[in-house]
Amino acid sequence: MIEIAIFTLLALGVMTGGLMILLGRRPATHAMGFVTALLSVAGLFALLHQSFLFFGQVLVSVGGVVIVTLIAILTVNLREESLPPEPHATRWLIGAAVVVAPLSLLLYRALTSLGDTFPPVSDTFGGTRSLGTLLFHDGVLPFEILSVLLLTAMVGAIIIGKKEQSYDRKS
Amino acid sequence: MTVNPDAYFAVATLLFSLGILGVISRRNLLVIYLSIELMLNAVNLILATFSRLRPDEGGTMIALFMIGVIAAEAALFLAVIVQIYRKKQTLDSDAFTELAQGKRL
Repeated sequence: MIEIAIFTLLALGVMTGGLMILLGRRPATHAMGFVTALLSVAGLFALLHQSFLFFGQVLVSVGGVVIVTLIAILTVNLREESLPPEPHATRWLIGAAVVVAPLSLLLYRALTSLGDTFPPVSDTFGGTRSLGTLLFHDGVLPFEILSVLLLTAMVGAIIIGKKEQSYDRKS
Repeated sequence: MTVNPDAYFAVATLLFSLGILGVISRRNLLVIYLSIELMLNAVNLILATFSRLRPDEGGTMIALFMIGVIAAEAALFLAVIVQIYRKKQTLDSDAFTELAQGKRL
């Protein structure tokens, strides 16, 4: 019973965060919605016995990505007039919803056809030990590729974000 | 009395749909970026639910990799947003069309 209550709360948090991002006007609203959605997803991970994923989500997504997003929002220091004009926002939203609704219904039907009850799992499911064993038995190559990808992304972000590009002076 | 997988799938599907709606219907670059993040998190949630449903931790592993990819994507996308805002003083997604026309940022 308490699980259903927590689940409902977290699902409401996810929806609230998503709607704040979708309908909000000011960047601060978007950021708050983003934090709410990510934290609620982390809570859903915890409800699914995925303790390591929960900590990964809290540390990387909430601790890292949200902070970087906030720094970017503060860096650009938006003024109200530099936001793009969206005169037909509601009309666009309704039109897009009409297009997306059947697709999401299809997705839901496809997903729910896979099973309807959670089997019981051992206490170590999703823990650090079992996941680490799996990660270094089956997932070594993706793990290393991911580390190269992160390094590349870091270098790329630094180069893109530089104030003065070297080709600016030549041309 | 526990929550059945359908509820998790419903939440993930709704989150994914909100993300698609944000990408389609808004012009604000920041909203588009956050919507992409929402969609990636919805996929993560689906993977975690699969992993619990089997039960097999392979899905958890893929979800962990996806968290890393999300971090990389966030760094690059935000760098592009900051750079475009610095040059154009706008967050309109139409500022990206100049990239397609071969002009330099």
